[in-house]
Amino acid sequence: MDDPQQPKLTPLPEWEAETARILDGVDYDADLGMRMARDAIRVSNGEMTDAEFHEKYHEEVLAEFGEDERPTKPEGFEDE
Amino acid sequence: MTNYGLVIDQERCIGCQACAVSCKQENNVPMGQYWNRVLTEGGDKIDTPAGGYPEDGQEGSLDMKYQPTACQHCENAPCVKVCPVNATYTRDDGIVEIDYDKCIGCRYCMAACPYNARVFNWDEPEHMPEEGTGDVSARPQGVVEKCTFCSHRVDEGLDPACVVNCPADARIFGDLDEETSTVSKYIDKYETNQLLEDRGTNPKTHYIRGEMSPGRPQTSDKLESELDDVTPFSDGADDVPSDPDGSGGDGASGGHHSIDDDAVPHVPSVKSGGAD
Ligand code: SF4
Ligand code: SF4
Repeated sequence: MDDPQQPKLTPLPEWEAETARILDGVDYDADLGMRMARDAIRVSNGEMTDAEFHEKYHEEVLAEFGEDERPTKPEGFEDE
Repeated sequence: MTNYGLVIDQERCIGCQACAVSCKQENNVPMGQYWNRVLTEGGDKIDTPAGGYPEDGQEGSLDMKYQPTACQHCENAPCVKVCPVNATYTRDDGIVEIDYDKCIGCRYCMAACPYNARVFNWDEPEHMPEEGTGDVSARPQGVVEKCTFCSHRVDEGLDPACVVNCPADARIFGDLDEETSTVSKYIDKYETNQLLEDRGTNPKTHYIRGEMSPGRPQTSDKLESELDDVTPFSDGADDVPSDPDGSGGDGASGGHHSIDDDAVPHVPSVKSGGAD
């Protein structure tokens, strides 16, 4: 099941390489994208809350994109 | 509330690629890009079976399954959570969509999607014929695009193009929150699974495996809920709702399982077989 043409329905050790390839040459911070991607799955499967995810990356997202419009923002969260 | 979802019967799918082709055509998908791919599970390469031919009077063990894969329209969509500019968002009816005017091409959503459902327009999109195909305008270079469940059709009360054009009746679209919809009934009645269930993304695409469903012959290309009068499908499957306005039940909730720190999988990005 290592062939890239096959649907991978089990965890892939090569996830990191695949993600690095997707983000290769991107105009934005690839490392941030990688970390956020990994944690977004943690949010999906309940290991992290939306609020924790939002707070963890808020400063970095703001610094990188000049805005943070993610829908994960908790109620009453101060932007600055 | 409406919560659109798709049921794909893998026992009915014949791997004909009609869904992939009609998706490309309907949505004006650029050359070299695929929103909807018919992958295969089996041998080492796409479209090859595992196992062997019968030999010496023994039984053969050839085995292959078609795995049609596009955006799964996850309820807990990681792509939506990472988009810094809210270009990727979930509509009130559950469809995950991209606002191409807002997208800045950071590809964070592609990294986060476990299903490799998104494609990036590296170059100026090319179409054949040049003026494009279908009813959706072309997306510019530098943005990410993907399956929308044909939201432009759904908004008109029509089923997605892939559903209408599946000759094996292997694809059924409808409201998962509506107890009497065909999708809800099929999920209830047949053995279904979602891709990568342990991610907790809770995809709105459900796959039937095991027992073949009776299918749902297209009575028209209209959404079930838009049909005034649905012809009952009389093979005993009781699959067509007689009360399209009945009230709905709860959608399934996402699984909450632990995963390894560095083991977040992707369905591969490699295209399905064949040229455009
Ligand atoms: S590529 Fe576009 S849709 Fe994807 S995360 Fe970036 S801005 Fe959002
Ligand atoms: S399949 Fe991928 S692109 Fe579609 S909603 Fe899920 S995470 Fe987003």
